[in-house]
Amino acid sequence: MSGQFWTFIILAVVTLVSTYRMVTAPLITHAALFMALSFTAVAGIFLLLQAEFVAAIQVLVYAGAITTMVIFAIMLSGLRDIKQQQQQGERVKLWRTNPAVLVVGAVFAAFMLYLYSTANLPAGGGERQVVPVKAIGMDLFTTYVIPFEIASVLLLIAMIGAIILTAKEAES
Amino acid sequence: MELPIYYPLGLGALLFGLGLWGALTRKNAVRILMFIEIMLNGVNLNLITFSRYYWQTSPETAARAPILTLFVMTVAAAEASVGLAIILSMVRNRDVVEVDKATLLKG
Repeated sequence: MSGQFWTFIILAVVTLVSTYRMVTAPLITHAALFMALSFTAVAGIFLLLQAEFVAAIQVLVYAGAITTMVIFAIMLSGLRDIKQQQQQGERVKLWRTNPAVLVVGAVFAAFMLYLYSTANLPAGGGERQVVPVKAIGMDLFTTYVIPFEIASVLLLIAMIGAIILTAKEAES
Repeated sequence: MELPIYYPLGLGALLFGLGLWGALTRKNAVRILMFIEIMLNGVNLNLITFSRYYWQTSPETAARAPILTLFVMTVAAAEASVGLAIILSMVRNRDVVEVDKATLLKG
């Protein structure tokens, strides 16, 4: 087996183990850090699939911005919750959770794996030239300029909404 | 590319399943948002995998998959910011962060 294969296996194991530990971690701050590790490993898989732009955006947006925002929210909201969980020190085990919920997740994953195993998918991707970031930018600002603008307006509205929701009422 | 397409697709499905399990298991609202991000990440992984393995059908449109992924990430970021703001205002006004304790509308 090639180095590509083993690199993928290592990154996939890191991703799955950190996501599993994210579910079972007793402390929510640990769950946030495991989430950052999972995102970083997935960024490595994006690099393996020759999507450098997406890998960079993944590290910037997910591993950087969203993790920071989640940790901010934990620190602002759940200090009491963190302390309570530390006293109890309980860990959610795989076999102690609600079995129906576990079945939902497992059935979904198994169904998708079954679909993939029966579908007529290409065996290998062949050698491909890396898509340059310049081509992505050209497409984004010509063909897809309207969705791009809608996305930026969406982000602006989300920012304003978050500020309005969290701002304290003005003294009037 | 020697790696069979089934490995990254399977990883995406497992990520989505793990995220679904976690989002339905945990009761803390911040954790649920984190698992929704994990699920969207699995979806992005599938998109990028398909674009990597199906590039030969139309090589001139290879830049579209990163653009679609970029839009998914944009929506995920917007959803996370508004969701966390809602959780913060819920904590501030009602002092609950568990979703099963926010029962104001329960009949």
